[in-house]
Amino acid sequence: MSLTYLEAIREAQAHALRDDPRVFIYGQDVGMFGGAHKATKNLATEFPGRVLDSPISEDAIIGLAVGAAIEGMRPIVEMQFADFSTVGFNQIINQAATLFWRTNVPCPVTVRLPFGGTSGSGPFHSQCMETVYAHYPGLIVLTPATVEDAYSMLLEAVAIDDPVIFCEHKFLYYHLKAEKLPSEALPVGKARIAREGRDMTIVAYSAMVHEALEAAKELVPEGWEVEVVDLRSVKPIDTDTVMASVARTGRLLCVGEAWPWGGVTAEIIARVTSEGYGLLDAPPQRLNAKDTPVPFHPNLWAAHRPTARAITAAARKLLRL
Amino acid sequence: MVQSVLEPGTAEKTASFRETYLAAYRFMLLARLLDDKFAALWRSGRIHGGVFLGRGQEALSAATGVCLKKGDVFAPLIRDAAGRLAFGETVLDAARAYLGSALGPMRGRDGNVHRGKPQEGYLPMISHLGAMISVVNGILFARRFKKISGTVGVASVGDGATSTGAFHEALNQAAVEKLPLVLVVANNHYAYSTPNSRQFACHDLADKAVGYGVEVDSVDGTDLSACLETVGQAIARARAGRGPQMVVAELLRLCGHGEHDDASYVDPKLKASLVGRDCLKVAEENLLRQKWADAATLAAWRRGVLHEIEEAIAQVQREPAPDPFAEEWRAIATKHLSETHEEA
Amino acid sequence: MPQIPIIMPQLGESIAEANIIGFLVKPGDTVEAGQDLIEVETNKANMTVTSPCGGRIERITAQLNESYPVGASLGRIETTEEEIARLGLDVSAPVKPGDTDRVAKGNGNGNRSSVQPTVRGLPVPANAAGASYLSPRLKARMTELGLSAADLAGVAGSGAAGRVTVEDFEKFIAHLEKQRMSQASTMRVTVADAMRRSWTRPIAHVGMPVCLDPLFAYRKVARPKPGPALCALRALAVALAENSAPAGRLVGNKIVHPSSIDIAFAVEAEEGVLVPVIRNADKRSLKDLIAPYNELVELARERKLPPDATGGSIATVTNFGTFGLEWATPIPLPEQTLVLGMGAARHAPNWDSVKGQFVPIMEANLTLSFDHRVIDGGAAGRLLQHVADLMSKPEKL
Repeated sequence: MSLTYLEAIREAQAHALRDDPRVFIYGQDVGMFGGAHKATKNLATEFPGRVLDSPISEDAIIGLAVGAAIEGMRPIVEMQFADFSTVGFNQIINQAATLFWRTNVPCPVTVRLPFGGTSGSGPFHSQCMETVYAHYPGLIVLTPATVEDAYSMLLEAVAIDDPVIFCEHKFLYYHLKAEKLPSEALPVGKARIAREGRDMTIVAYSAMVHEALEAAKELVPEGWEVEVVDLRSVKPIDTDTVMASVARTGRLLCVGEAWPWGGVTAEIIARVTSEGYGLLDAPPQRLNAKDTPVPFHPNLWAAHRPTARAITAAARKLLRL
Repeated sequence: MVQSVLEPGTAEKTASFRETYLAAYRFMLLARLLDDKFAALWRSGRIHGGVFLGRGQEALSAATGVCLKKGDVFAPLIRDAAGRLAFGETVLDAARAYLGSALGPMRGRDGNVHRGKPQEGYLPMISHLGAMISVVNGILFARRFKKISGTVGVASVGDGATSTGAFHEALNQAAVEKLPLVLVVANNHYAYSTPNSRQFACHDLADKAVGYGVEVDSVDGTDLSACLETVGQAIARARAGRGPQMVVAELLRLCGHGEHDDASYVDPKLKASLVGRDCLKVAEENLLRQKWADAATLAAWRRGVLHEIEEAIAQVQREPAPDPFAEEWRAIATKHLSETHEEA
Repeated sequence: MPQIPIIMPQLGESIAEANIIGFLVKPGDTVEAGQDLIEVETNKANMTVTSPCGGRIERITAQLNESYPVGASLGRIETTEEEIARLGLDVSAPVKPGDTDRVAKGNGNGNRSSVQPTVRGLPVPANAAGASYLSPRLKARMTELGLSAADLAGVAGSGAAGRVTVEDFEKFIAHLEKQRMSQASTMRVTVADAMRRSWTRPIAHVGMPVCLDPLFAYRKVARPKPGPALCALRALAVALAENSAPAGRLVGNKIVHPSSIDIAFAVEAEEGVLVPVIRNADKRSLKDLIAPYNELVELARERKLPPDATGGSIATVTNFGTFGLEWATPIPLPEQTLVLGMGAARHAPNWDSVKGQFVPIMEANLTLSFDHRVIDGGAAGRLLQHVADLMSKPEKL
């Protein structure tokens, strides 16, 4: 029996609905249709009245979730695509993210964002939004890379008393499979060493973790052992694990699917350079998508964001520095 | 003290309209004099940032607050000083928000009209107009899950807010979900400096309700009696499960958008018309005419309220300001997930 | 007749594969471009795979109820060159069935795009071969071990432009640890540091032989007896008192003149050299300097010099002749511009133009090492000549 990343997300939601009467799911097409990505398939039937269709109103969807959270519920809202969450951006960053700081009343809302690119999806169904949300204080931003993390981190997201932006990678939905659900997991806030190494550290998150692992494999015959760190959450960032890894290897390459300006890769490098300057044997490097909207044509899309091949090329350059 | 005379939501409890009217009038008076005080404090540099008054809108706001019950939800907006007091806010807390006291509900982290106590159903607004409506929806929605019935939620908005996407989405959502939402729209004819003619194209704001499938009433916002009647009925209908209700009140803002604004753009013809009447004067004239109070009583109330305000302001001014070095600079409840960046 | 593969298309966002649930054609059938061929089921819905071109079904390789990934070949269509040209089809090798390469290829035409790395040219940090570029990590390690760049001069770097990487460094240290090592004394380390700092300046040397006969004659009758080094010291003091510029320090575009003529002299002690100082050597005669000089020598040898006896001098005198050396190129201390050296005295023939023959004299080489930023060879030579002249009249010193 194996399950996909998407099925793990569905399982986590079922688990949450089952165990906590305060949980409900709200979003477009999540009810009988089971969601545009089928993340809530059958849940409306299994949990009648708790998986509800909303109008196309991202602002009101998030606002309603905040109100419900004030009233003690634990809403999970599904944005159909991360790209559309911008319509609800105001409610996320100004309503949900400021409530606790302004009033001491926590806001336990989970916003599920299907994010990241898949071939042919184009500019408005491929965006990575974690940067913008991580920037605003008051939010927790999670980016699970594995089936197991998709499950355990979503469960933990629902339990966390703060607004969580849960970034699920659409490419991983069906491409990633695992044998079974985990019985225990690293807590949110801890990064994972996805691959131990010696010569260089690659810090990545979400789908890019898999590209990085692929790149690391390609470098083995050349005599390099590359360590890959899966951040798991980009707000907070587990700086300690990253720093310890760079302490071991002395070289850092950060990879992100998001755009170059600012972002997770810039944040990691800023932290390592200012807090761990003496750990670096070479200038830290980063690899991001090209600074354009995400293209539609598969040829363009394949070149737009980092791939295993691009990572190996960057890694070789860094290893030879 | 005014608050001890009558609890909010009196309209339902006592049969006497007179008692309700008197209670509402007292909240209007308190709000007016408190607003004047805030304006004065601002002009003397004691209040930082902006001061936003509700002068001219007290009748509508007080009526709203008085018709709500404890346990209802209220999302007031900029000009709802009267409604907030009627719903249970203390003068001390209002002053604390304006003066930035560390002891206020916002603890200096937000100020002026951005204040509230979410868990008591009194929502602190964010600046983005229309954004609070869906939050009210959310609370009402959650109560359904919790099988709590018989409560309503009021969101106050102005004419400007009705143009926002947030207003549209939230009203639509409330209607689709048949939530007991009452939208009280204070059409004071100007959104900052923008007149109605540049804000919407429908003949009457009330026309918008039809598009959402929402019941609507219009009312003269300068007449306390009419406001009590109309808002009271709208709230009653929502409470009875009739779905969302909208009330559109015509009135005029008798002050600038903020105290930094002189409102010189307001059409003098509007000011001179019925909609430009001072609702406080109208109510006082009514009280006298109905012999529900005499001039001496009114004067005595005024003195009493002024005294109460002075005491409260003095007390709050003695309270400590927030100390940046004592602050826990953390924006999330979950401590172990907070990133504390060491300051150099 | 050329053949075109029937490829499993991408039938939805993030769909990776589909299940075959029915065939609408069989081998041998003639089909048109766009005609439905195979029914498939994805996680989201049931769809059909259509024909890429007109032609004849050559074969169907897909099997009922089996799942095939996006890009897999499900069969082949036999078609014409004209059809291929008309539709711009690619007949190159189809993706192998079961190919799960996660990078998407062009839909249906087997075209592999080559991915250009997005990494721009990385900066090469080293500006010359050798250990000149030290990364922050390397510097941290060096600080930890108390090493300086000079210590790595012999390490071959494997990094860009020959820089020494941390790996090279660790290998070097590990290698060192296998060699026999003895503890360098504190003095040794201190001197090493001073010499390293001295050497950052352009040091040049001039030298000339000086006749010591007048000095030896003076010593025969003098009580107490001044040593040759002290004579040289006193002569240098007198010369510098007349013109202190050669002992100045260059700071920016200014020459900082010494405030008093304090001259140090080298004394060999265990494991190193100490340099006690004669203060105001210009203000006391040679005779009066003998006792303080001897006392300082004793104290130095016993390593008991008081703190005020060292430091603050403007030049040093060193008598390397005591080691039997005729010639040496001493290095001025880091804070000084000059060091005057004296070689071993020896018998040497000297041309006596009066007698018209070589006559034996006692001679020693006098050297002056100097910071060439402060003075040039000419000035150095003149100073040396002046010192030599003064030393030829020891009774006047």
